[in-house]
Amino acid sequence: MSSPLADLSPPRILVVDDEPQIHRFLTPALAASGYEPIQAENASAGLRLAATHAPAAILLDLGLPDLDGQQVIPRLRAFTAAPIIVLSARDEECAKVTALDAGADDFVEKPFALAELLARLRAALRRAAAHGQEAPTPLVRVGPLEMDLAARKATIGGTLLKLTPREWDLLAALARAGAGRVVTQRQLLSAVWGPGHAESSQYLRVYVGHLRQKLGDAASLIRTEPGVGYRLGPAE
Amino acid sequence: MAAREGWGRLKVFLGAAPGVGKTYEMLTVARRRALGGADIVIGLVETHGRAETAAQVAGLEVLPRARLDYRGQALEEFDLDGALARRPAILVLDELPHSNAPGSRHPKRWQDVEELRAAGIEVWTAMNVQHLESLSDAVARITGVRVAETVPDHVLAGADSVELIDIPPAELLERMRQGKVYRADQAERALRGFFREGNLAALREMALRRTADRVDADVTGYMRANAIAGPWPAGDRVMVLVGGEPSAEVAVRQARRIADALRAPLVALHVERPAAADGDPGPALRLAETLGAETETVVDTDLPRAILVAARARNVTNLVIGRGRPPLWRRLTGRTLSATLLRQASDFTLHLMPSPTAAARQQAGPERRSFPRWVGWASVPALVLAATGIGYALDSRVTEGSLGMVYLVASVAASVAFGPAHGVSAAVLSFLCWNFLFIEPRYTLTIDGPQEIVGAVVFGLVALLLAGTAGRLGRTVRSAQARVFGLRRLVEFSRRLGAPMDRAALLALIADEAGRIAGCPCCVLMPLSGEEVPGLALPRGRRPDDTDLIIRAASPTSAEPDDASMAAARWAYTKGRPTGWGTDTLPAVSWCFQPLPTAQGVAGLVGIRFADRSEPLDPERERTLDALLDQAAIALERAELMEERARGAVRAEAEALRITLLTSLGHDLRTPLTGIRGSLETLRTMGDMLSPEARADLILTAEEETARLARFASNILDMVRLESGRVPLRREPMDLPSAIDDAVERVEHATGRLVERRIDPRLPSPSLDPVLFDQILTNLLDNALKFSGAAGQVAVAARRDGANILISVEDDGPGIPRGDLMRIFDPFFRASRTDRITAGSGLGLAIARGLARAMGGQITAESPIRAGRGTRIIVRFPA
Repeated sequence: MSSPLADLSPPRILVVDDEPQIHRFLTPALAASGYEPIQAENASAGLRLAATHAPAAILLDLGLPDLDGQQVIPRLRAFTAAPIIVLSARDEECAKVTALDAGADDFVEKPFALAELLARLRAALRRAAAHGQEAPTPLVRVGPLEMDLAARKATIGGTLLKLTPREWDLLAALARAGAGRVVTQRQLLSAVWGPGHAESSQYLRVYVGHLRQKLGDAASLIRTEPGVGYRLGPAE
Repeated sequence: MAAREGWGRLKVFLGAAPGVGKTYEMLTVARRRALGGADIVIGLVETHGRAETAAQVAGLEVLPRARLDYRGQALEEFDLDGALARRPAILVLDELPHSNAPGSRHPKRWQDVEELRAAGIEVWTAMNVQHLESLSDAVARITGVRVAETVPDHVLAGADSVELIDIPPAELLERMRQGKVYRADQAERALRGFFREGNLAALREMALRRTADRVDADVTGYMRANAIAGPWPAGDRVMVLVGGEPSAEVAVRQARRIADALRAPLVALHVERPAAADGDPGPALRLAETLGAETETVVDTDLPRAILVAARARNVTNLVIGRGRPPLWRRLTGRTLSATLLRQASDFTLHLMPSPTAAARQQAGPERRSFPRWVGWASVPALVLAATGIGYALDSRVTEGSLGMVYLVASVAASVAFGPAHGVSAAVLSFLCWNFLFIEPRYTLTIDGPQEIVGAVVFGLVALLLAGTAGRLGRTVRSAQARVFGLRRLVEFSRRLGAPMDRAALLALIADEAGRIAGCPCCVLMPLSGEEVPGLALPRGRRPDDTDLIIRAASPTSAEPDDASMAAARWAYTKGRPTGWGTDTLPAVSWCFQPLPTAQGVAGLVGIRFADRSEPLDPERERTLDALLDQAAIALERAELMEERARGAVRAEAEALRITLLTSLGHDLRTPLTGIRGSLETLRTMGDMLSPEARADLILTAEEETARLARFASNILDMVRLESGRVPLRREPMDLPSAIDDAVERVEHATGRLVERRIDPRLPSPSLDPVLFDQILTNLLDNALKFSGAAGQVAVAARRDGANILISVEDDGPGIPRGDLMRIFDPFFRASRTDRITAGSGLGLAIARGLARAMGGQITAESPIRAGRGTRIIVRFPA
């Protein structure tokens, strides 16, 4: 679990949560997985630690006593590009979408499985590392799917996919976000159809359906996050 | 004719006279349809002992007749409710013009038919043409027999199909002679009277004409519907003048026929002349309405002018007026209404209707007064006598001319108080007395000298003129007074409606005001709606299934309709039509029910016990009452909308509470579960990489969180048990100080914090359930410790207060906002914004309250208690 950066110290993970019992198990678990966990009990402590300790990733609970988690994200984004993974409740789709639109990278639902949280964390750190490179490669590979973003070509298992311009834009928008990263419906609609269509989620359902049909056996590469959006990548 | 939405079809077998075979034909068709599988039921058929007809009934389903008990006499009648319950596809119901037995729901069978059709049942019925309302005068003229049972024209016009059963008069007469229509003895009589060949031919022509008109109307309707340009005259409009005279009804019927012939709309106009002793136009206006005319009432003193203004305003082309019986002098001077109109109404076709026969004429309704007629006539000589008395007293001091003035006063007084006739009589009598007693030569009726003659003539003229003018003035004043009374009541009513009030007050006001105007007991009935039962909100506009009407307001409070009247009320409510006394439906009951229509349907009914009145309501009051009911309906609607808005606000609040509750519940379940799951998973997947201390802490976390979850679960169970009211009590005399000590020590041990104790050692030993008491105290202490923060001070106190024992738990936390103080005992309520600091279920106080109540105790909260901080929860138990 080493960072691709030259810095050889373990990646620092900031956990912002007001429930002490979350820290009690996350701290040893993160430490045992090769990270350096730092704890914050509330939003102000979290913002201070994020600014002073430059964490590689931030795990953020949305229900904080002093400041709503939704307001914390833009403040964090003001000075750090570190991936933010939101710890949210299952029944809070709206909160998830708002958080993602505000700049969060991913979310896990409480009560979460530790393995899943760690997998999401790894994926987020990987994407962050890829984005950090000087020239992003125009080639994206997700499972059997290969996309040449410059040439607007996609092949699956070597076979060229015949995509309409809209379908290509949609697939590319998912690919550009990075494999495994959730993209909200609003973000996809604005990117593909333009900001005026940010609410027309029925377009999205139709085009995702078409794309999945064309992907054939690899249809499961486009994964639905119910009520939130889509992500591109093989099941973890 | 256009069928009404959802109404059953109506098929009428129309005949010219009895015996033409309407019933026979109707039954034959019914049989055929029944054999074809149609669900056809005979509601009622009179065979009149005709064997051919009776044979046709056999094999058809016949509805049993209803039995009515009327003054000890058992009457058989068509069973309307039975038919509605049976709900056949087609119901055969003979004799459309039949009048129902007293005590039936409707006075007339055609009203039964309307109800059946409204219920979606197709009705087949039969009638003779002479029973048609608009033909009854013509029939009476031709045959000399006035038909009592009539059917409004709109019923036949509204029929979907009319089948004319026609046989030539000669054939009908032959059938009669053979005894196929009536029994021999009756037949003989009938043949000499009604069934003369001339009569039959005329009636037959009427029936044929009616049917032809219908066909014509159908064709016209078809052409209109299909936008075919046709030859129908456009813009014709007929107006009939309706007064109080009996001939008005004849004029209305005639006008209807003219309008029908012209295919023009009909307007019935009544001109109310404040100064004229017109009769009651009500019957004629109602007739006009039944005949489908629009009615209008205008107020004017000049009859011809009012007619012409109204007619021109409505683009009337044909004017129909009764000839009336104008006084001789008017006829001689050419000032009759018809003559005036002939001169002035050059742009109208004028129809003059014949005068009614002398026998049918009756005295126009007398002017209504507060005292009987004889008083007026007795007053005339009394007044003249009084004037004579004064005259004798003044005799020696003034001239005889001045004495005439005294008599003038008597004449004017008589005409102002009682009317022009009295005034003129008084004038004549006064003149005679004056002349006889005071004018020289005295004690003769002769007049000497030119001065006396001039005086006498002037007196006579002035007295007559004054009598007429003053009399008219008196009537105008009385009429205006009645109007002012009505208007004042209405203004007062609307002023009071303007003030904000709840529905109960509004209903009481309506009942009160209606009662005052009608001058008899009134009540307001409203449906028993589910909206008033908490938690059982009916959707707006939906009526409760059974029309359970309850009295919401009454004036006087004892006014309560009897059971029979309530049946009428239910009818009025479901149909939205006035019902009961003085209406077409259930007129036998003593109450009249007027619906209060709103946009959402009938909001309620105003019931008036008219039967107590010796005479009907005068038109002025009737109008005032109508206006009042209109206003009441609007006010009621407004009140309901406001209540609906308030209910909406309550619902929104309940919804917000529910969401808060769900969020809290979710949070309280999810947090410990996350801790347990995370700790166990960490142990499983990376336990070997952890230090023994870290492993022990993870296990402890899982344990603690499990305990928290268990506490939460048991709290929820307690809550459910409390709400279902199933809390088993095991009371025993308790040693309170030691019980409190136990609870406090346990809490201190668990939290590692200290609680201050101020306990009166001489507390009595109340009979309580020790387990529940402990639970209450623990919950209160937990709560206080949680809200006071880690360094807060918590104190528990117990003392006697009169008949009660007071146990209080206080903290020095931030306190509770005043607005929330009442709600902190609600389940899942948390003082705002602190829900994340204090992990708890929000059930502690709710459970404490439930348990305290279960033991007959009370629980209250006070905040802040000192220096703007702190909360004190107080539990009171009876000592």
